[in-house]
Amino acid sequence: MAVTADASVTFWYGCNMARHGEIVRLVTHILEAVGVEAAPAGGPGYCCGSTQEANARIAAGMAARTVEKFNQAGRETVVTWCPSCHMNMDDLMAPVTETAFETQHITQLLVSRADRLRPLLTHHVPARVLLHAHHGFQGRVPVNTDVPMLLGMIPGLTMLDHPLRIPGHMCSAIAPVPGELARAHRETLTAMDAVGADTLATIFHSCHREAVALERGRTIRVANWIHLLAEAMGLPHTDEYKFWRNAEDPRAAIGAERIAAAGDVVFERLVEPELRRPTTI
Amino acid sequence: MPDLASGLVAHIRDNSTRLAAACTACGECYRACPMVPRAAALNAAEPEAVMAGIRDILRDGAGTPEAIAFAGACTRSGVCTPACPEQLDAAFLMRLASLRVRGTLGEAPRVAGKHDPGWSARVKAFARLTMSEEEQTKWL
Repeated sequence: MAVTADASVTFWYGCNMARHGEIVRLVTHILEAVGVEAAPAGGPGYCCGSTQEANARIAAGMAARTVEKFNQAGRETVVTWCPSCHMNMDDLMAPVTETAFETQHITQLLVSRADRLRPLLTHHVPARVLLHAHHGFQGRVPVNTDVPMLLGMIPGLTMLDHPLRIPGHMCSAIAPVPGELARAHRETLTAMDAVGADTLATIFHSCHREAVALERGRTIRVANWIHLLAEAMGLPHTDEYKFWRNAEDPRAAIGAERIAAAGDVVFERLVEPELRRPTTI
Repeated sequence: MPDLASGLVAHIRDNSTRLAAACTACGECYRACPMVPRAAALNAAEPEAVMAGIRDILRDGAGTPEAIAFAGACTRSGVCTPACPEQLDAAFLMRLASLRVRGTLGEAPRVAGKHDPGWSARVKAFARLTMSEEEQTKWL
């Protein structure tokens, strides 16, 4: 079912997107601009169960609670961001717990409103863009064609074609396989060079957080597709995760006050190692 | 309180049985998979034999070392589904096999899972860095 005019939807941004509050914020602004009121929902309290997939008993409880919360919210559509969440909803959640909503991916919703989005893309974004494309999820939602279509509406931006498709549905799927992320990044840089791209557009959050470090020592830009749409709409934003990840000292880049607010111990044990980990290549 | 797990367990079992019965173990999904050339354990494997092992896993069997390696190597590329001559949802079949070898129904894991014990705390910590208090209250 298509989202109707002046609709109200739940924007299920997943869990690891908490690294990118600005993307959640920008998506709600973009949806509002095309006539969709979006209520973001995510984090561990809205888990799809994939984090506990090795134990169906735990995963089932998490997934059922998430479906029940969406049912109680009373909105007819849950708009997804994360391909894992989207596929889990289709394959393992909705068939088990009755849903009072339909699911639609954010790219599908924006494509359906392209006529309303196009006039809002007024700012030139001079960029020669290669899409960071995986094999997976394309069979479920055609993100590898829909995202270039949306970005292609941006004045000044050129989408470039290359046949490279990385295994998996996003980079978190290949990251545990030794050497695969580095191979993906090497192949991506080679593809960018081959087509003359200066910008790599990521689709998903896990790919973005892995790819941003490719900017180090190179004259390329890594941006999420939402960042590019927002730039074209004149929506101010900062990709703080990229700034922190590429900073010589992430602690100094974030600042002591914000680290204290996040929790010093948690930051030191769980956040800082991620921001300081070596680059893949 | 209803047993939340029973529905998912039954769903996984029912679909495992259904897809194992429909799969002919022709091996076309295996041949299409981009992870096969990247998995050393599959270097000398025969596609038909691997898929026969996958069917065994879906039927509560032990599987074979190659089938377990193939299920463990799945990264959800999804190119297996259009390759299936029986028009099965091969990606879902492999997803189920992947869950089974990780012990989702309580069996001993045959492949290490990717469980991250710090996941929830890490997500919340990042949320405190990137979202305002009001946003955290509304969005989490």
